[in-house]
Amino acid sequence: MPPALAAHPMTPSPMDPSRASAPAAPLESDAPLTVEVRGLTKSFLEEGRGEVRAVDGIDFTCRAGEVFGLLGANGAGKTTTLRMLSTVLRPTAGTARVLGHDAETDGEAVRRSLGFHSASTALYPRLTAGETLDFFARVNRLDPSKVKPRVDALIERFGIGEYADARVEKLSSGMKQKVAIARTLAHDPPVLIFDEPTVGLDVLNAIALLEVVEELRAEGRTVIYSSHIMSEAERLCDRIAVLHRGRILAMGTLDELRDATGLHYLQDIFVHYVKAAEA
Amino acid sequence: MNTLGTLVRYELLQLVRDTRTILLAVVLPAVLLPGILVIGNLTTEADEERVRDTSIGVAFLGSDSGWARSLVERAGTVPDSLVGDPLSMTFHEGPAADSLIGADGLQLLVRAEGPDDRGLPSLEVRYRASSDLSRSAADRLSARLERVRVALRDSLYAAGGLPVDPAAVLPVRTTNVAAAGREAGALLGTFLLPLLVAMMLTGGSLVAADTLSGEKERGTLETLLTTAVSRNEVVAAKGLAIALVALVMTVLNVANLGVWVGFGLMEIPAALDVSLTPGGLGALFLLLLPVVALLSAVLLLVSGWAKTYREYQLWFAPVFLLMLLPSAAAALPGLELRSAVVLLPVANVALAMRDVLAGRGDLLFGALAFVVTSGAAVWASSAARSTLSTERMLADSAADRAEFLGGPALFPYRVLRWFGLMWVVLLGLSLAFGERLGIRGQVLVNLLGLFLGASVLMLRRYRLPVREALALRPVHPLVWPAVLVGAPSGFVVGIGLAEITGVFLPVPPQVLEAFGQFLLPEGMGLVQLVLLLAVLPGITEEIAFRGLLLHGLRRRLKPWALCLVVGGIFGLFHVSLFRILPTAYLGTMLALVTILTGSLFPAMLWHALNNAVALLPVAAGWVAPDMALPPWAWPLAALGLAASFWTLRRVGAGYPGVTRPEGGG
Amino acid sequence: MAFLRDLRVLYLRELRSALRERSIVVNGILIPIFLYPFLLWAMFTAMTFVEGQAEGFVSRVVVPDAGPLPALVTALESRSDVRLDDADVAPDSLDARLARGDLDAVVRFESDAGGLLADNPTVRIAYDRAESRSRRAAERIEAVVDSLRARRLMAEATGLGLDTVGLRVFALDTENVATNREAGRLILALMVPLFLTLMVALGCFIPAVDTTAGERERSTWETLWTTGVSRGSVVLAKYLLVATMGVVAGMLNVLAISVALGCIIAPLAGDRAADLALGLPLQAVPVMLAVSVLLALLFAALMMVLAAFARTFKEGQAMVTPAYYLALAPLLLSGSPDRGLTPALSLVPVANVTLGLKDAILGRGDTGLLLTAFAVNAALVVVCLALARSLVVREEVVTGAFEGSFWSWLRSRRRTSPSTPNP
Repeated sequence: MPPALAAHPMTPSPMDPSRASAPAAPLESDAPLTVEVRGLTKSFLEEGRGEVRAVDGIDFTCRAGEVFGLLGANGAGKTTTLRMLSTVLRPTAGTARVLGHDAETDGEAVRRSLGFHSASTALYPRLTAGETLDFFARVNRLDPSKVKPRVDALIERFGIGEYADARVEKLSSGMKQKVAIARTLAHDPPVLIFDEPTVGLDVLNAIALLEVVEELRAEGRTVIYSSHIMSEAERLCDRIAVLHRGRILAMGTLDELRDATGLHYLQDIFVHYVKAAEA
Repeated sequence: MNTLGTLVRYELLQLVRDTRTILLAVVLPAVLLPGILVIGNLTTEADEERVRDTSIGVAFLGSDSGWARSLVERAGTVPDSLVGDPLSMTFHEGPAADSLIGADGLQLLVRAEGPDDRGLPSLEVRYRASSDLSRSAADRLSARLERVRVALRDSLYAAGGLPVDPAAVLPVRTTNVAAAGREAGALLGTFLLPLLVAMMLTGGSLVAADTLSGEKERGTLETLLTTAVSRNEVVAAKGLAIALVALVMTVLNVANLGVWVGFGLMEIPAALDVSLTPGGLGALFLLLLPVVALLSAVLLLVSGWAKTYREYQLWFAPVFLLMLLPSAAAALPGLELRSAVVLLPVANVALAMRDVLAGRGDLLFGALAFVVTSGAAVWASSAARSTLSTERMLADSAADRAEFLGGPALFPYRVLRWFGLMWVVLLGLSLAFGERLGIRGQVLVNLLGLFLGASVLMLRRYRLPVREALALRPVHPLVWPAVLVGAPSGFVVGIGLAEITGVFLPVPPQVLEAFGQFLLPEGMGLVQLVLLLAVLPGITEEIAFRGLLLHGLRRRLKPWALCLVVGGIFGLFHVSLFRILPTAYLGTMLALVTILTGSLFPAMLWHALNNAVALLPVAAGWVAPDMALPPWAWPLAALGLAASFWTLRRVGAGYPGVTRPEGGG
Repeated sequence: MAFLRDLRVLYLRELRSALRERSIVVNGILIPIFLYPFLLWAMFTAMTFVEGQAEGFVSRVVVPDAGPLPALVTALESRSDVRLDDADVAPDSLDARLARGDLDAVVRFESDAGGLLADNPTVRIAYDRAESRSRRAAERIEAVVDSLRARRLMAEATGLGLDTVGLRVFALDTENVATNREAGRLILALMVPLFLTLMVALGCFIPAVDTTAGERERSTWETLWTTGVSRGSVVLAKYLLVATMGVVAGMLNVLAISVALGCIIAPLAGDRAADLALGLPLQAVPVMLAVSVLLALLFAALMMVLAAFARTFKEGQAMVTPAYYLALAPLLLSGSPDRGLTPALSLVPVANVTLGLKDAILGRGDTGLLLTAFAVNAALVVVCLALARSLVVREEVVTGAFEGSFWSWLRSRRRTSPSTPNP
C-alpha cells in the first residue's frame, strides 16, 4: 500500500467517510514525500478504565520544504503521535514512515533522518555546548570526519561561539534553547519535529525560534510543528491538521480551512471543528 | 562500535565533572572509613590490653577455701608460655557473694567444696559474663587451674610407677599437608568476593544512580531515545560505563587500603600470605568477569526501574544486601561448589574463587559457575533494556493515577505490600509463639486469623468485587475428575522430581524429606487432622494466595511468571527453609490450575487433596512413614499429572485478564 | 500564640507530605520494621542449613596399617560420621589423594622409640588444614584417640593399684553468675545504642534533604516564603518534622531489633529461651527517649544547615553525607561491655550519649556524667540552630545562591560583612 501511495504524490489522504467534514488536502507541489502516516493508532490499557485510545487512526503526509502543523489542545494526542513517529513509542496499529523507512521495523534509520525537539527533551547539564553538539552528531551516526565541521558550522550559525565551552547548566534559558535547537540539527536531518517548542519561552526567544523554523523550511527540510498556540500555526504552517481526542478533525492549508468553514481566524476555525466533534 | 565509544566517553565525562559527588562519595569515605577502622582497632587493642594488665580480684567461698587458695596461688605461678595469657591476681578477704562479682575490683569467686560422695573435691570458678574482665579472667584462671590439676595427676602417676608421662600415652601428632599459601588462600577466599562486590556496587552506583533514573528525571533520556542509537546500544554503553567505574573504584579502594597498610596504620593478618600461580590469577579474573557484568546489569536495571535519582537510592540498599548475601557463600563452611549451589549466580562464583585460591580449582564446575552467572547477567541486561520501553514509563504514571482513583485500581500496586506485611507478622508469630501455640493454635491463628483475616481486610479496603477477585466461578464438570487425578499425581511427581534432582545435584536430605512428609501432630483424631490440615488450608490459603494475590498480580506479570511468583511467595510463607521448595512447587501448580480453569474451586480441592494424600496414609497407619514408592508409581503419576493438566487446558475457561500459558505442567 | 498556631499548621502540613513521600516512609518506617526480621531470618536459616551440612559430612579416613592400635579402627568404625576407606591403593598416593580432597585424613602409627610402655604408638594424623571437612575429620579422630587414652590411663592406673578417683585430683567447673536478664541486657546494651544512632541519623537524612533542597527543586520553597507566616516558624516547623522522623525511625528500629532478637535468639538459646529477657530495664527507657530526641535534634539541625544550600535533592544528599558519618562515631568505641562513660568521653558529642545509654541499659553509670553528655549535645544543637537562623535571614541562601555549597557560603562570609537581616 504505502509504495503505491508514494508513487502518486497527488493522492490526497484517504479520508474516513465518517470524517467527511474534513477537507481533503492536496498540496500543489512536486516536492518529494518525506513523512507518511497511515491509520496510526496508540492505545493504552488502564486498570479500571480498560483500553484508552490516545491516537485513533490518523493519516497525514508531509513533503520536503513544508511546515506541517499539528494543532490541538493539551491531551489531544499530539505528543503521542510525534513520539510514535520518532519511534519512542510503538504504534498499536497503522504505520509511520520517514523517508520511506518504517518507524516500527527500521527505527534506527527513522531516528537518523529526523531531529526531535520538545520542551521535554532536555540537555545534559554537565556537558558544554560544544560537547553537546559533538555528542549528538556522533550518536546520530554522522560520518566522524564531518562532525567537527558540522559542529563549527552550527556554533557559527546560532552564534553560540562565546559560550561554546561553558557547561549547559550555567547557560541562561535563551542560550540553552539555541543549543537545544542546534543539537536537534547536529546530524543535518531532513525532517524535524518540534513538539510545542515555545512552551515556557519568552516572546523574544519564541520569535527567534519561529525564525529558525522558517529558515529550515527554506533549506528544503520538512518540519512537523505541534502547538496549541494559534498565532504560531497561522504564521508558520503550510498545512494544518486539527487534532482532537486522537482524531484528525480537519486538514488542509489555512485558506482551505477558511473556505471550508467560512471563518477567518484559525482560533475560530479550531473551535468550530472541536465543537462540531463534541456535538 | 563508534557510537558505543561516544556514549561511554560522554557518560564518564559527566561523572568526572560531578565534582561534588566525587568529593563526597569517593574521597571522603576513602579518607574517613580506614580512619574509623584504625581508631576502632586502637580502642579494641586498648580494651584488650586493659583486660590483660588489670589485676584480677579473686575471693573465696565454700568449705575448703584454704585449699582452694593454695591451688589458685599455684595457678598464678604457671609460666605464661604454657597458657598463653598472663594473669595477675589480688585476693579479697572477708565475705563474698555472687552479687559482688563484677563490681568494686572483684572479678572472680572461687568456690571450693570438700570431697563429694565419690571422694572428689571440687573447684568452681564463678564469673559474670556481662563483664569482659570477669569473663576473660575466668577463662584464664580455669586454663591455669587445669594445668595445675594435670601436673598433680601426673605426679600421682609418676609416684605410682607409670613409666611414662601420661601425656605420652597414645600421643597424637598432626601433619598438615596444605601448603601455607593454600591455607591463606582458603581464608582469603571466604571474604574476597563479598569485599569486592561491596566495593564494586558502591563504585558502580556512582554512575548508575545518575544514568537512567537521573536522565529520566532531567528529561535527557527522551532526547537520547530520539537519536539514532538503539536501545541495545544505550544499555550496553551504560552497563559498560558502570562496570568500568566499578572496577576503577575497586582498584582505588584496594590501593587506598594498601596505603593505610603501607603506613603501618592497619595490619594485614600474617595468615593472608597467598601465593598464586599465574593460571590461578587468570582464573580468578575470569571468574570475576561475569560477576562484574551481573552487578553492572543489576545496577542498570535498578536505575532503569527507578523514575528518579532518589527512587534509585531507595532501591539500592535492598539490592546491595541482596547481591552481597550470595557473594558471602564461601564463608559458610561445608558449602561445596559441586552441589545445587552451582546454579546460584554469584554464590557459585564465590565458591569457585575460594577453591581456586585454595589451589583446588574445579574446571568443569568453575566453568558452569561462569556460565550460570553470565546467564544471569544477560537476563539482567535484557531486563534493564525492557525498562527503556516508553510504555513502561507511561505505565508508571498509571500507578499514580491508580493511587488517585483508589479502590480496585489501586489494589494491584498494593497487593505485594500486604503480603510482605503478612509475612512479617507470620514470621513474628511463629518465632515468638510457635512452640507455645502448638500445631492446633498455629493452624487456627495463621489460617483463620492471618490468611482469612487479611483477605477480608483487603477485600474491604479496596472494595474488590468478591466473586471476581476470588475467582468464584463454576467450572466445566470434567475439571473435577482432572483434579482428583492431578492432586495425588502432582504430589508423587514432586517427590520424584526432588529425588531425580538429588541424583545430579546433592540436595540436603531434609529437603527430600520435606517433599514427602508433613509434621505429624500427635494426639489428633483423623477427622480433626483432615479438617485442620487439609480442608481448612485448602480454603483459606487458596483465598489468600490463588485468590487475592493472583488477582492482584494478574495483569502485571506474564502467565508463567505469575505462576512462579505466586508459588514462590506461597513457599516463603512456610518459614522453615526445607519447606520452601516443596511448598513453592505446590503453589505453582495451584496457580496454574487457577489460571487454566479461571476458578478458585478446583485449586481448593487440589490443595486439600494434596495435603490429605500427604498426611492420611501415614497418620491412619496404612503405610510406614519411611515407605518407598514402587518404581512404577512415578511414570504413572507423571502421566496422571500430564493428563490432568491437558484436560484442564482443554476444558478450562481461562482466567480473565490473563493470557493462557503455553503448555501445561 | 499566633506563632504557635502557625507552627502547628506548618508542622502538620510538613508531616502530611512527609508521610506521603515514599522514600521517607520506606527509609524511616518500613526499613526498620521489615529489614531486621528479614535479615535475622535469613541468617538463622542459613546457619541451620550450614550447620546441618557441616555436621552431615562423613569424614573419609584411611588407616593404612591398623596393626599397632586395632582399637582405634574399631572405635572409628563405630562412628556414623566416619567412613574408613580401603587402603589397598599404594600408600604413597594417600597424601596426593588427601591434597586433592578425595580423602579427609590419613592415620598412621609410629612405634614408641623409648619403649617404656608396651603398645604405645604415636598416632600421626595427616590432614589438609585448608579444607574445613578435613579439619573436622582430624578433630573427630583426635576425639576418638583422647577417649582411648583416657581408657588406657585408667587401665594402667588400675594395674598399678592407684586410686582412680584420687587421680582426678579435683573437679573443675566454671559458672556464669549473670542472670538471663543480664545476658539479654548485655546484648541490648551493645546493639541498641549503635542502631539507635544510625537509625536516627538515617531517619533525619531524607526528610532533612527533602524539606530543604527537595522543596527548592520542586519550586515550592519560594511559594512558602511568600506566604504570610514568618520565616522562623517555617524553618522551625521543618526542623521539628525532621527531628520527629529521626525519633520515629530510631524508636521503631529499637522495637524491631528487640522483637526480632527475641524471636531469633530465643530459639537459638533453646531451653533458656523463656527466661532470656530481652526487655529494656524500665529506668533505661527515659534515657533512651532523651537520647533519641537529643540525637534527632542534633542531626536534624546539622543536616538542615548543610542541605539548606543545595539546589537539588541529589546535591543535598551529597552535602549531608558528612553529617551522616557522625552517626558512625559510636562505632569508634569498641564493643567492650566494660567501656562506659568517663569524664573525658562525656565531652565527645554523639558518642557520649550513646555510651550513657549503654550504661543506663546495663543499670550502672553516673548521673552527673550523663547530664554533662546531654548538656554538650544540647549546646551543639543550640549552636547549629543559631547558625541556621543566621542562614535563613539571608536572601542569597533563600534564593539558592552559592551554587548549592556550604563552603562557598563560608568563603563569601569571610569576604563580605553579612547583609542586613530581613525583618
